Amino acid sequence: MREIRSGVLLRAFLRSFLIQGSWNYRTMIGNGFGFALMPVLRWLYRDDPDGLARATARHTEHFNAHPYMAGLAIGATARMEADGAAPEAVRRFKSAVRGPLGGLGDRLVWAGLLPCTVLVALVLAVVGADAGVVVVTFLVLYNLGHLTVRGWAFRTGVDAGPGVGSRLAAVDLGGKAERVQGVGVVLLGVLTGLLTARAVSAGGPGWAAAAAGAAMLAVGGKVGLRIWRPMSAVLMVLIVMLTVWGTLT
Amino acid sequence: MELLSLSLLGGLLALEGTSFGQFMASRPIVAATAAGWVLGDPGSGLLLGGMLELLHLSVMPVGGARFPELGPAAVVAVATAVAAGGGGGIALGCLMALAWGQLGGASIVLLRRVNGWIAPDPLTNPASPSGTEWRHLAATALDLARGTVLTVAGILVGVRVVAPVSAYWPLGRGATIGLVLVAAAMPAGALLRTFGGVRRRGVLFALGVLAGLVGSLLL
Repeated sequence: MREIRSGVLLRAFLRSFLIQGSWNYRTMIGNGFGFALMPVLRWLYRDDPDGLARATARHTEHFNAHPYMAGLAIGATARMEADGAAPEAVRRFKSAVRGPLGGLGDRLVWAGLLPCTVLVALVLAVVGADAGVVVVTFLVLYNLGHLTVRGWAFRTGVDAGPGVGSRLAAVDLGGKAERVQGVGVVLLGVLTGLLTARAVSAGGPGWAAAAAGAAMLAVGGKVGLRIWRPMSAVLMVLIVMLTVWGTLT
Repeated sequence: MELLSLSLLGGLLALEGTSFGQFMASRPIVAATAAGWVLGDPGSGLLLGGMLELLHLSVMPVGGARFPELGPAAVVAVATAVAAGGGGGIALGCLMALAWGQLGGASIVLLRRVNGWIAPDPLTNPASPSGTEWRHLAATALDLARGTVLTVAGILVGVRVVAPVSAYWPLGRGATIGLVLVAAAMPAGALLRTFGGVRRRGVLFALGVLAGLVGSLLL
């Protein structure tokens, strides 16, 4: 087992922020994975150019994961390479973790942290907070979660190597996602209440808008996430039609 | 000067959203407010950014799925809205954001195809270590260029072609905001379903609504 210098690991971690830079349909973030891991590979194979070339080819193969969680695979791969694991074992490990890292990250971040912090910002905006306060609050809250996830993932990968599965199970990211979504439900309710009160206070048309909004909320709940495509199309057509109507009257 | 600043902002936001970091500076509420600051009207930026956030609450950039690109679209929306002014500015700003978001999403798909050519197949044509790094950085730079060009084109179309039509927009500012918010209730419902739905989370949601109603009375 060889130790990897902390400066080398730090460079790999910083490069992991660019992991999606060459996203493509053949290797997905495979090339980015190799780019992020390169400081470690150069350190480990500093006296073996042929070994470095072979390792580069291995680590630019197909890979995909949530970009924040990919650091876990990068860190664990660095540990396995340093420990002299067989290339086939590293390949099997990467194949095994990419699905769970994608699913957990999507649930925790895209369907939890992100909408929750967006809802906080929207509530602040609706109650009349200054634009700067809204933006800074959102960016600070979101990136506290974001950088915590990235940092934890990379450190855990380096520490645990191929044993990251038990670490993932121990921290129960699925349960954490569930709790974050619970907070999101409350925030979504608060935003709905604030906007409804504002609409109703406008009188007759406001009541109609609130009723229409409630109906649309139910439709969205029935259809699910794919609603944005038809909703966007209908809204665009409506805006164009109203503008054309305006030119004719 | 403003075109240059906004275009560079759009390019950097595109880069941040797809290739570098994903710190969420490219979310509409940040991007539109930043564009508003550049144009001297952060209030309009925040209003449009907030509405665009609501309209896209159900969009999640999962895996290789195609999704609207919101950063440059938000910049284009604010440039259009500020040039047009009034309710028409809000409506046409939203129109441009929705259209340019889709166009941005299509350009990401195209970029990813080009990236397949830039980053070689490691099984048949492996790159050297430094070649891997340079190709990766070249693809990243191409993303910045894509976002900048997309934003320039959007601002020119929005300000020169679309904004002048705002004089014919038949609704006032309040009614226009209401129209957009009613449409935005659909993605909000979809998000509620993602969070567990009314059956599982109905009590929490109702408590939130109550808190919002009471809060609006107190504020």
